[in-house]
Amino acid sequence: MNQDITKFRNIGISAHIDSGKTTLTERILFYTKRIHAIHDVKGKDGVGATMDSMELEKERGITIASAATFCEWLGHEINIIDTPGHVDFTIEVERSLRVLDGAVLVLCSVGGVQSQSITVDLQMKRYKVPCLAFINKCDRSGANPEKVIKQLKEKLGHNAVAIQIPIGLEADFEGVIDLLSMKATYFDGKNGEIIRIEDIPGDLMELAGNKREELIDAASMFSDELTEAILEEKEIPEAMIIAALRTGTLLRKLTPVLLGSAYKNKAVQPLLDAVIKFLPCPYDTENTALDMDNNEEPVILEADISKPLVALAFKLEEGQYGQLTYIRVYQGLLAKGDNIYNVRTGKKVKVGRVVRMHASQMEEIESIPAGYIGALFGIDCASGDTFVSSGLSYTMTSMYVPKPVISLAIKPKDNKSEVNMSKALNRFTKEDPTFKTYTSDETGDTIISGMGELHLDVYLERMRREYNAQVVSGVPKVAYRETITRKAEFNYTHKKQTGGAGQYGRVAGYMEPVDEDFAFDNQVKGGAIPTQYIDACEKGFRNCLAKGPKLEYPVTGVKIVINDGASHAVDSSDMAFQAASRGAFLEAYSKAKPVIIEPIMKVVVETPTEFQGAVLGSLNQRRGIIFGTQDEVTSCVVEAQVPLAEMFGYSTVLRSTTQGKAQFTMEFATYKQAPQSVAEELVKKAAEEKKNSQ
Amino acid sequence: MIKDSFSLRHPLERLVGSETEIIQDGGFGAILAYAGVGKTALLIQLAIYNLLSNNNVLHISLNDAVKKVGLWYKEVYRNIAFQHSIEDQEQLFETLLPHRFIMTFEVDGFSVPKLEERLTELMEQNIFRPHIVLIDGLPFDVSQKESLIELKAFAQRHSLKLWFTVRIQRDETPLGIPAHFNDIEYLFEKTILIQPEGKDIQLKALKGGKTDSEETELFIDPTTMLIKENKWIQHIT
Repeated sequence: MNQDITKFRNIGISAHIDSGKTTLTERILFYTKRIHAIHDVKGKDGVGATMDSMELEKERGITIASAATFCEWLGHEINIIDTPGHVDFTIEVERSLRVLDGAVLVLCSVGGVQSQSITVDLQMKRYKVPCLAFINKCDRSGANPEKVIKQLKEKLGHNAVAIQIPIGLEADFEGVIDLLSMKATYFDGKNGEIIRIEDIPGDLMELAGNKREELIDAASMFSDELTEAILEEKEIPEAMIIAALRTGTLLRKLTPVLLGSAYKNKAVQPLLDAVIKFLPCPYDTENTALDMDNNEEPVILEADISKPLVALAFKLEEGQYGQLTYIRVYQGLLAKGDNIYNVRTGKKVKVGRVVRMHASQMEEIESIPAGYIGALFGIDCASGDTFVSSGLSYTMTSMYVPKPVISLAIKPKDNKSEVNMSKALNRFTKEDPTFKTYTSDETGDTIISGMGELHLDVYLERMRREYNAQVVSGVPKVAYRETITRKAEFNYTHKKQTGGAGQYGRVAGYMEPVDEDFAFDNQVKGGAIPTQYIDACEKGFRNCLAKGPKLEYPVTGVKIVINDGASHAVDSSDMAFQAASRGAFLEAYSKAKPVIIEPIMKVVVETPTEFQGAVLGSLNQRRGIIFGTQDEVTSCVVEAQVPLAEMFGYSTVLRSTTQGKAQFTMEFATYKQAPQSVAEELVKKAAEEKKNSQ
Repeated sequence: MIKDSFSLRHPLERLVGSETEIIQDGGFGAILAYAGVGKTALLIQLAIYNLLSNNNVLHISLNDAVKKVGLWYKEVYRNIAFQHSIEDQEQLFETLLPHRFIMTFEVDGFSVPKLEERLTELMEQNIFRPHIVLIDGLPFDVSQKESLIELKAFAQRHSLKLWFTVRIQRDETPLGIPAHFNDIEYLFEKTILIQPEGKDIQLKALKGGKTDSEETELFIDPTTMLIKENKWIQHIT
């Protein structure tokens, strides 16, 4: 490992589906001589790209799991994590961006900013990750990098600054003009590995000059020195512009934009140069932990191997040698044989084997210094756990984990499959926090929940292939909820005083709708309910949320205010007040006009314009509210909100309606009240299920 | 329904007449102003008035993406809701959304035949039938004359009312209708100018205004971009 941390980059490659992330990573590995042959994502040779090591990934041509690797370029070491583009696998992007210092946002030069581009951009914002934009596929018909830069500015709010312009586009795409050096770069050789630098073609000179001025103007906002040089009309050294651009990028106030075609092996090497010039090393990023011994006071971590260890486990993988834990070290040094502490469990663990990953292969190393990502074997932990040296009690905030939106009932076909299914589910739920499983109390069915149909489909297929578990899946279940729509009061007494030890507790107050999952406000005065029982009251109310009285769906959006009550000197207890709270909840709930709410998905369909009418019709038929259409000459983007319950099987419908030419993405938007007809159908179904189970 | 608890008056009534006088089916209205003075905000106030009146609004933008137009609506609506002390404003806003449809086009990609095709698709499938169409960002230069004549015929065919925003340049005559607008002015029944005057932003009816001078002063609040002191939503008690 490179010991100079300033010559190190931890980067992620993120984008919308099919923008070319994995293809780009394959080229990066080739040009850095990490691999010696290029294989396409769904190539005829059947080998598949290096980073798509799972069979399913190769077959379907999609990245399912993020994969880490490293390479060297110009004396710098670059750790790369290639991530999936489907929103179903969003957790992979979340965990990657949580631990990376910089990112490359890949955009298709035809599609531009698409729905998942917006999601990954939000994820980059969440973790304050500086990024470069790479406009890929400039060889494609319809390529329009100018339009994409405009979209970056308008749709994502980036201060996007082109540092290259194309030489030709579509089939005529030959190379790029570097606006910093004011030279034209071409990529010769069978795989574009031979770089040829020449003067800018005459017909592009004026455009290059204008664009360079725009670039310098944008960069000058981050450098007084550069501003002075401009005002004094001095010659501006390239290094000065680069320094200014780097400052802007690290502050996330500027996004350098490059372009190329990974598939056609053009302009990937300048992207690597830009990663080194503009993206941060671990020293450049501020990472904080919370000091649990000091009221969770934020503490800035230093990328210094002499300091005590602070590291974050961000991904788990079960393999033939046991659990592999991917870990990012933020401070200190994690070495083989060290004793480290899991802050969450408080347990000490001894570090066994330490490895570095290259897709599915690994290389044994002695230690992982601050700023680096590696993996450990034989450590039992959860994703998001913080590991520290003895004496420290720091914890790092974990990544954001979105809630699942779709469930499926599954049944094993035979006993052997049942055992294997159980093993598979244990492993998958441990590795993926957005994949959940539970057993239905009423029906005994095993229910799996995830982020979308593709998500669940992939796990079912992996169960079959990797665990030989033959399962049958039932109808997907929508994650309905219950909520209240008006304020209602309660005044409930729980009393059991028939001799011997009794129970007594009275709780009075009201419930009302609120914009969060649950809120509890204690307004009891004068000790009407003794303070030692207030927590029990809250617990009693909370326990009622798991299964709503209406149809046993989880309850959300309820605020409970208690403002009065009564207790008994002998018979009051935690249990009594919990029971009183439960009774109070039930009493008020029916008066509060409870309704069923259903998950509503933001659906974005991209389609050729000739199918726009059919697409609009298909969404309208699904109780969709169409917000609008964005006409982009030959294609059209339709934005709508559609209930999840109506979206099952939509991919098949869309494919047949548009001859397979349209695609859609779907992500959770909000919960809204389900129409009366839907609620009545649910009541009917629940009654039938109850009858069948008796 | 929450909407039924309000009585509404057209926001521009004081300037250009009552609802029935403002624009008939097939009619055109235009809002003229320099860049950044409030054309889009005023257009959206008209849209919200129509949405609250149970009219379907087709908002066509040649500048902004669907999401950005959506954000404009949220922002203007929130200001209106605050100005008029509307309770349950989020719930009310949700009821308005199915009555609004946003279409965005690239300026170069916009044409009347294309618009008509899109609209016909919506109407034939009973997805959306607008009562009023707002067009924001159409450049009003010489090349658009034919398009506007076609749009007029389109509006008459479908019994629609159309409102446009018209950007004027700062070097154009400050006295009235810009020169390049003269050729097509006859197509418009109402023309409103938003004019900054000192600290104020005044609305002036250049065409189709009310003759009673006491009623014709309307101003825009530069902080909210709403028509000032003009409570056009009354709560019915």
